[in-house]
Amino acid sequence: MKSKWLLLLLGAVSLSANAQPRLPQNYYWQKFDNGLEVVVIENPKVPLATIEIAVKNGAYTEGPEYSGLSHLFEHMFFKANKDYPDQEKFINRTKELGAIWNGTTGFERVNYFFTFDKDSLEAGLKFMNAAIRFPIYREEDMQKERPVVDGEFQRGESDPGFQLWIDVNKRTWGDLFTRKNPIGDHNIINTATPEKMMIIKDKYYCPNNSVLVICGDVKHDQAFQLAKKIYGDWKNSGFNPQEKYPIPEFKPLEKSDYNIKISSIAQTPYMMLQWMGPDYRNDSAGTVIADVFSAALNVNASKWQQALVDKGLATYAGITYQTCKYVGPVQAFVVPNPLKMKECYEEVVKQVKMWGDDNYFTDEQLQTAKENLLRDKIRNEEKPSQLPSTLTFWWCSTSLDYFTDYDNNMQKVTRADIQQYVKKYITNRPVVAGLIINDEMNKQYKPSDYFSTAKAF
Amino acid sequence: MKRIIQHITIYVLTAIPLVTLAQTDKAYDMNINGVKVIVQPSGNEIVVIQTIIKGGVQNYSADKAGIESLAINALTECGTLKDDKNSFKDKLDKISARVNGGTGMDFAGFTLNCIKRDFETAWPLYTDAMLSPRFDEKEFNRMRQDAINIIRAGESNPDNAIRKMARQTAFAGRNYAKDPEGTVEIVTKLTAAETKKYWESVFTRSRMVIIVVSELDKSMIEGKVKEFLAKVPAGTAFKLKEETYSPEANTFKPKERENATNYIQGITGAPLPGTADYNAFVLAMRIFSMRHFIEIRTKNGLSYAPGSRFSEGKTPYANFSVSTTEPDKYIAVARNLIDKVKKEGFTAEELKNEKTGYLTGIYYRQETNEEQANALATNEVVHNNWKRSVDIKNDINKVTLEQANSAFKKYIGYVTWVYQGDPKKVDGKLYTQKTTPPIPAEKKAF
Repeated sequence: MKSKWLLLLLGAVSLSANAQPRLPQNYYWQKFDNGLEVVVIENPKVPLATIEIAVKNGAYTEGPEYSGLSHLFEHMFFKANKDYPDQEKFINRTKELGAIWNGTTGFERVNYFFTFDKDSLEAGLKFMNAAIRFPIYREEDMQKERPVVDGEFQRGESDPGFQLWIDVNKRTWGDLFTRKNPIGDHNIINTATPEKMMIIKDKYYCPNNSVLVICGDVKHDQAFQLAKKIYGDWKNSGFNPQEKYPIPEFKPLEKSDYNIKISSIAQTPYMMLQWMGPDYRNDSAGTVIADVFSAALNVNASKWQQALVDKGLATYAGITYQTCKYVGPVQAFVVPNPLKMKECYEEVVKQVKMWGDDNYFTDEQLQTAKENLLRDKIRNEEKPSQLPSTLTFWWCSTSLDYFTDYDNNMQKVTRADIQQYVKKYITNRPVVAGLIINDEMNKQYKPSDYFSTAKAF
Repeated sequence: MKRIIQHITIYVLTAIPLVTLAQTDKAYDMNINGVKVIVQPSGNEIVVIQTIIKGGVQNYSADKAGIESLAINALTECGTLKDDKNSFKDKLDKISARVNGGTGMDFAGFTLNCIKRDFETAWPLYTDAMLSPRFDEKEFNRMRQDAINIIRAGESNPDNAIRKMARQTAFAGRNYAKDPEGTVEIVTKLTAAETKKYWESVFTRSRMVIIVVSELDKSMIEGKVKEFLAKVPAGTAFKLKEETYSPEANTFKPKERENATNYIQGITGAPLPGTADYNAFVLAMRIFSMRHFIEIRTKNGLSYAPGSRFSEGKTPYANFSVSTTEPDKYIAVARNLIDKVKKEGFTAEELKNEKTGYLTGIYYRQETNEEQANALATNEVVHNNWKRSVDIKNDINKVTLEQANSAFKKYIGYVTWVYQGDPKKVDGKLYTQKTTPPIPAEKKAF
């Protein structure tokens, strides 16, 4: 079963390079001559329009010398350009448009989005065009923005959840940690130059590495026309950045590893386990199975929830998988009951070892998980201004066909598929475990006596 | 991680959300058995129902803070007379219906979010949770330990920690000093029996408002709600009190915390709901927020997250917040900015643009049923007028520049400042001194 629809998925990928991709109703797609893909989503729920540009950039394109600079670049997008030469003028223009705006930087995507009155669509597209194609990088602006970006980093470092995430990810990805760390490195951020910004722009900010999405109370014909008029002369870079600047392959984890981090701000302990999961390039079917598996474990009746949360060993025990083109992480995040931390960890280990068992899920639980994913889809489609971000995430890390076919493929996942997935990526595979705890609780509960992958996995 | 963070997010009233109607039918209300039921047709297949219990922090004494939160959580975590906890949750899981609640400064909300085709299955579970909660001792003890862990997780988060400290300092001795989630000390002592008794004392028609955002038929809503309310006690008349906040001097309270940067928050006055200054102050604070952003982040690179906002509620207040490596420079820049605005006022252009942005924000928040329900509930509780959420577009357009400037001058006075980080790195005098400090020379705190 699995292999059949895996082939279907792979077939879809090869077709999509030249053909109109499959898309949901009211989604329209064009690829301009310069390589820019444009998707228009007609959704007249409220009289607003949202525009978003996403670029295949982010942590995965960053070696150590550029760690965090995709993110700094994202900030500089909102600084100065040929039409709005300083940030005050830029922001004033957003106010004139009455826009709600932001940008994000992740593993494999950098995106920028604006929402405004539907009648401001042309003005908004021009505004975005000036920012993405004609930015101005001045040393004085960068001097002011570097501490801002570093301040975002320090805010993260003031949170124990982030501290634990950094610790576990450093040990998961090793030498290639920068490829999974969008926030970056303090020193690199604080010494970034306008020249480095231009290097990023020239490498990745081209129409043939970007997608433009226009969504809301718009008509697709008019939206395509406007987009073509404004973005049609954006010059193709002449190369595929993913080919010219290849992403190094992550080496599989060789052995399990663990760490206990002491932090005075961790008022209650957090526990994290991470494995290297599937990726879209090598196992697109596995990426869908991973989502169903996570959903099945997060259902109240699952053995995982019953053993940990129902029994009072943990306040929270969630499993996530993030779809990536280059190795997606599978993560278990647990907030243990500090009074029962040893039992909690032992139960986590016990359960993980059983994840691949034939009877770990009932068919009913699996069906519930799938039904939940389908109903969540209805909720996820409720807010029109969020639709572009959902679409661009999949565009950057998978494909539009993958996005469109996702629900059907998810319904095809079987218990056997899940067993194979768990065996391939989790059971008997190296794991990285981390615990963050304050000094007082560390002395009281002595996690070093039992929190170890050496003894457990 | 995301879910636990959402889980530990405390119900806080920030800006009052507002909706206007671009689509579907008009909202209406009904009086059923003495309870106002507000209905907004949604035009989609999602059903959102909120049962609001008025009172919030006014419902309990300071030494019982946390009891309402615990009671609301117990409705879904301790089972009902018909279903034990697992049976209850499994039935909801089967239809991916969400039943949950929380409590804040002025009210508690208990929400159902389901798909329309599942409504007949979800509604009895939702109402059973409120009408016949089991308060099972074993489940209660488990849930109470979870509540303690969540309070601790909240204290671990630097934004939550500074927000809590700011409120406790500014409103010491008043209702708003109470933390709806409670403290580890208080929650540890709460029992299933007293929490059950507490729930029975506030679960009355006299404190209740019901919000429905869905495409359910009017007669169906009427029938279901009538049947539900027939089982809810009438209770005694209840009216939420309003309190003004106006500190008499600038104060500064530091606290040591091993943050990677300095966290600062300041609280000052704001107009009461229903006063003539209210809408003008809403716009004034939004314009100021952008000025604050430009001055602190754009021009001086002092912070990633400078914030200033009007925290609307029965005790309304204005709030400034920042995380920065240069706390001394921040306060000098911020105080100079406040002085400048008070002296020169905002511009006509700023007011015009703010009105445009405000309208975008209204439609933006109208995109989901839950956001619409929140808007209707908050306006009904805080302003005694859910229709304000619909009429606001016209009202906000009537605000003049003179009114916005005057409201800012009138309410932005002395500020209660709090700080978390390394107290050695900050000069508290700059926050409290009467004269506005000059912008200091460059000095790195870390």
